[in-house]
Parts: sequence; structure tokens; C-alpha cells
Amino acid sequence: MRKFPKERREIDGKKQGGSDVNGIEKKEKGQKVIEKKPPYKAYLLFGLFLILLPTVQKMGLIGSATITVLGTVIFYAIVGIGMNVLLGYSGLISLGTAGFMGMGAYLSAYLTADLNLPFLLSVIVSVGIPLIIGLVIGLISLRLAGYYLAIATLAVSEIFRQVFIEWDAVTNGFSGKNASYPKLFGVIQFDRQLTFIFMVVVLIGLMIFTYNFIHSRTGRALLTMRGSEAAAQAMGINLLRYKLTAFGIATAYAAIGGVLYVHFIRFAYPSGWNLMLSLQILAVIVIGGMQTIEGPILGSFVVFGVPELILKQLPVIGNVDGLAYVFTGVLIVVVIMFYPSGMIYLGNDIKKFWKKGRKHGKEQLPASE
Amino acid sequence: MSTFLQILFSSLETGSVYALASLGIIIIFQTSRMQNFAQGSVGMLNAFVATFFLINTGASPYLAALVGMLSAFVTGVLVDFVIMRNAKHVGAIGKEIITFGLIMFFLGIAPMIFGTSPLSFPRFIQDGTYQIMGASVTYNAVLNIVVGLSLMTVLFLFLQKTKWGLAVRVTASSEKTAQLMGVPTKLITMGAWAVAASLGALSALMLAPAITVNVSMMDSVQISALVACVLGGFQTFYGPVIGAYIIGLSKNLLSFYVSSTWGEALMYLLILIFIIFRPNGLIGKKKIKKV
Repeated sequence: MRKFPKERREIDGKKQGGSDVNGIEKKEKGQKVIEKKPPYKAYLLFGLFLILLPTVQKMGLIGSATITVLGTVIFYAIVGIGMNVLLGYSGLISLGTAGFMGMGAYLSAYLTADLNLPFLLSVIVSVGIPLIIGLVIGLISLRLAGYYLAIATLAVSEIFRQVFIEWDAVTNGFSGKNASYPKLFGVIQFDRQLTFIFMVVVLIGLMIFTYNFIHSRTGRALLTMRGSEAAAQAMGINLLRYKLTAFGIATAYAAIGGVLYVHFIRFAYPSGWNLMLSLQILAVIVIGGMQTIEGPILGSFVVFGVPELILKQLPVIGNVDGLAYVFTGVLIVVVIMFYPSGMIYLGNDIKKFWKKGRKHGKEQLPASE
Repeated sequence: MSTFLQILFSSLETGSVYALASLGIIIIFQTSRMQNFAQGSVGMLNAFVATFFLINTGASPYLAALVGMLSAFVTGVLVDFVIMRNAKHVGAIGKEIITFGLIMFFLGIAPMIFGTSPLSFPRFIQDGTYQIMGASVTYNAVLNIVVGLSLMTVLFLFLQKTKWGLAVRVTASSEKTAQLMGVPTKLITMGAWAVAASLGALSALMLAPAITVNVSMMDSVQISALVACVLGGFQTFYGPVIGAYIIGLSKNLLSFYVSSTWGEALMYLLILIFIIFRPNGLIGKKKIKKV
């Protein structure tokens, strides 16, 4: 995999310029690391802001469809964060995200609706099975590199898609599979608002977990592996273990995203889990910013939120069939051409706001228009 | 035997479609070091252009195909001139996401210009079949196979025997060296995009009579072409073409002799197993990485 020239990286919360991936990694032990508090407070505030949104919607300030769109933004952001561990931090490409997401969705729908398993148990199973398959692909990734790996995962995803279409007993084939809002412990029946809040809680929890994971020994090993596999091996890093870890995290997050998808949208359809979706997830990371925790959230908002919330609401664009698509395409191309390292670095102002722990949801809008 | 021959001929036809698409992908890969995910969409858009031209002027399908390929050529030049040339500073994955943005763009623009209903593109040769040992092959299929093979032969001869072909190969092996040697790499890259787009349009038009011209017509071709590149290996120009024909044949054979529902999935599984044993594809050389 090639290095990105204008890449910036974050070491212990301290952003650094420069493109030398390995140099930073090797010096890291000797550097004086400024102990910076993890941004949990900002994450929690952001979560609180999201949790308040359904209430705001009940007051009638924002439309009901907005909440649905933001929900999709949330679960795709989760998938993006997992993918970022794989691509941004480990340098392994996967185009099979859609397959794993669909797998989580169908499994969870089947287990809760057809087998009447409790929600939490079905989540464990629906994330566990893709996780195991992801680990197998991790094994494959020891043999394949770069593009070969990317297309191999695409082939895996295609096999899954065939299964979604053909295995009527579980997936209900072309008619699509219905699911219901989650029911915790068999007594607490969620409605849309509670499901949304549940998703926010999962998102914030995973953000904190991923932050800790990346700033741990494992995370550093992954970064070293990204810089150079040979160098990482020379330093005594066990490639197999870390590749499996990276793939495991990515597939587990994708499956979690799929589970949330099916219980929030309450419907899964086989043709949606295709190459387009996998590319959209890649776009989420590249647009948001690789090697950041917050990047995929911003990217997910740009890729999944902006077309629905902004482009389709505009007077002329929203009315013509396909014009929102065109603008989404143009937006993606323009963002990558002008912000190759990701929109999260859009400017110091936003970062300053960020550091103050402001709600960044408001600042995003001018940036993405 | 006659069934097998029948399958063989139809595989050659679909294989030609995949081969043209994968040849486009590999040409762009060799010159720009990136996957082009928009190969299928460019073909789709220009198949619409060709069909629209045919419907409104009543021209022959040959002329329409030529118009479609020309407009694809222009599309490729524009994509390179407007976007790719100005995205030199973007990493490989970023460039691939740019092609994804292009997919979105084409998907949106095609129904806006040409309407949302699928259009039908006629066969190049309306009727007539050859009978070969109990298998019947339409003239049109023969034409597709011959055109596909001869076009590829011309391209490979161009790459191997001409000065410009040499320039393309130099660019493929090392762009910096090529620039130092005075090769106009910008022009080469632009030409690669243009030729690849034309090949995509032709493959879309070959496929069009069997299915209609619609926005998702090239989705499966795009995936098969990418897999063909992996199967054949990214190092050579002819590897993906061979991979494409293998995919076309094995897809049909497995669908007919094993299972019509799981044939395709089984084929992907076999390809996966194959590339685990040959991680650089069928005709791949292992690159020694310097640390």
C-alpha cells in the first residue's frame, strides 16, 4: 500500500504533520509525549447532543425523516470506524464490508423474528459468526497483498450476496426480511426514539473503545505494520496476530452496523449489500479522514446524510430525479481533490471548537455545503 | 457434446464482454496505479448515448456503437483532464474513491438525460445462425467474439510493436523514469483513460441486446472484470483478458453442470482458493519488496 503524501497522524492525541510513517513510529518511545487527556468528554458531549435530537424532533423543530437519516449516519459511522482500524491504522484494504454488514443484519433479523431469541443473545451470535469469518479472511490476508486482497474480499462479499438472495429460509429472498425494534431482556420494548438513543450509546461506546485500542500496544503494532510489514516483523511484531485482530475488529463493527441497521430500518433487502455499499464505506473513511476516530462520523454524514438532508431538500436539485446523485458524486470528488487527508482537518477553527468540546454537529454544515 | 459446445460459444461471448472491461481496468491500472471502479458506469452511460443516437436517427447499430465509443473516448479524456490530472497528490485509495464519486455522478446523470425507463439496443446482426456439431451460434455472437478478440489482438500488437506502445509500457513500469526519458506520461495516461472508456462502452453494447440498456446493466460485469484482473494477475496486460475468458467459461459450466443457483458463488469460491495458492494471479510475478 502506498503512503499518502500529505498525511497527518495522531500520536497520543497530538497531531503531527509530515509524511514519514515509520520515522514517527520508531521515535515514538523516545519522544517526549505530551500526556493529553483522552477526548472522552468531547465524545460524551457529542453523544448527549445526539441523544437529545429525538426530543427536539418531538418538539417539532426537526422533521421525523431527519432522525431516520441521522440513524443511518450513525450505523454507517460505526462500520466506518471499524473499517478505519483496518485501512487507516493497518493498511489492509477490504471491499467486503457490505457482505459482513448484510450478514449481521440478516442473522439478527432471523434470530429475533423467526427463532424468538432474546435481542442481546442474537446480537452476540450475529456479530460472532461474521467475526469468525473475518478472522478466516485475516488468515487469507497473510497470503495476499494490496489489490489482490481487496478483490478477494469483494469476491467473498459477492458469495454472501448470492446467499442472501438464494437462502430463502433465513433471508426471505427477494421479498426482503422484516425485523422489529429491539426488545431488551424480554421486557423493555424499544420504540424508534429509544432505538436511536441505543445506537448513539453503542456509537459512543465503540468510539471510546476504539480510541483506547488504537492508543494501546496493539494499535501501535498495527501502525508499524502499516508502515512496513518487513520492518514490523523485524521488530518482533507477530503479523498473523495483528492482521487477525484488525480484520476481526473491522468485521465485528460491520456486523454491529448491520444489526443496528436491521433493527432501526426494520427491513433488509438482498440487493443492497453490494460493491456500491462497500465503496461508500471506503468513501466515508477517505472523506472523513483516515486514522482518526471522529473522521468516519463526519464522512458518514457527508456520504449518507448530506444527500438526504440537504441536497434533496434544496428547491431545484431535490425535484429532479438523479440530481442529488450527481451532486453527491461531485461532492465526493471535490472533497478528495481538495482535502486528500480528510475533512476532519478542514481547518484549525473546527479543531479549536472540537478541543473546547463544543458540539460539532453545527459546525459541520457549512463545511459540507 | 452439443450442449458443451453451446456453452463454450456463449462463454466466449460473455468472456469477450468481461475481457474488454477488464482490459480497460488493467490499462488504467498499469498507467495510473489505481483500480477504476467506474469502468462499468462509463460503459453504461455511453451505451445510453449510443442507444439514444440509434433511436433518434435510425442509424445502423454499427454506427451507433461507433458514436458510443467516440463519446466514451471523450468521456475518458474529460475524466482525466478535469479530475485525475489534478489529483496527483491524492493517494491510491483516494483516487479509487474518486472513481466511486464518478459512479455516483454517472448514475445520476444517465436517467436525467435519457429518462428512467430502460432502452433496448438491437443486435448488430439481426438473425441467422451457424450450426456447428449440433450447437447453434448466432452470427451476432460470432461477430462479438471476433470483434472482441481482434480488438484485443490489435491492442496487444500496438503495445508490443509500436513506439507509442513502448511508451505505455515504460509508463507502466515506472512513471518517473518514463518522464526522464522524455515520454509524455500525461498524454499516455489520458490516452489510457480514453481507450479504457471506449472498451467499456463496447463491452456494454455487446451486452445490451441480451439485457436492456439500464443504469445497473454493468454492475456484474464490473465485479467480474475486477475478479478477472486478480485471477490473471495485475502485472501483465494479457493476464486479465485470459482471466476474463476463464471466468466466462467457468461461470457457465458451473451454472449448467453443478447448480444454476449456486454456480456463480461456487466460482468465486474456487477463484479464492486458487489465488490463495497463487497470490499473484495466474500470470503473476512476485515482486521483491525492498525495505
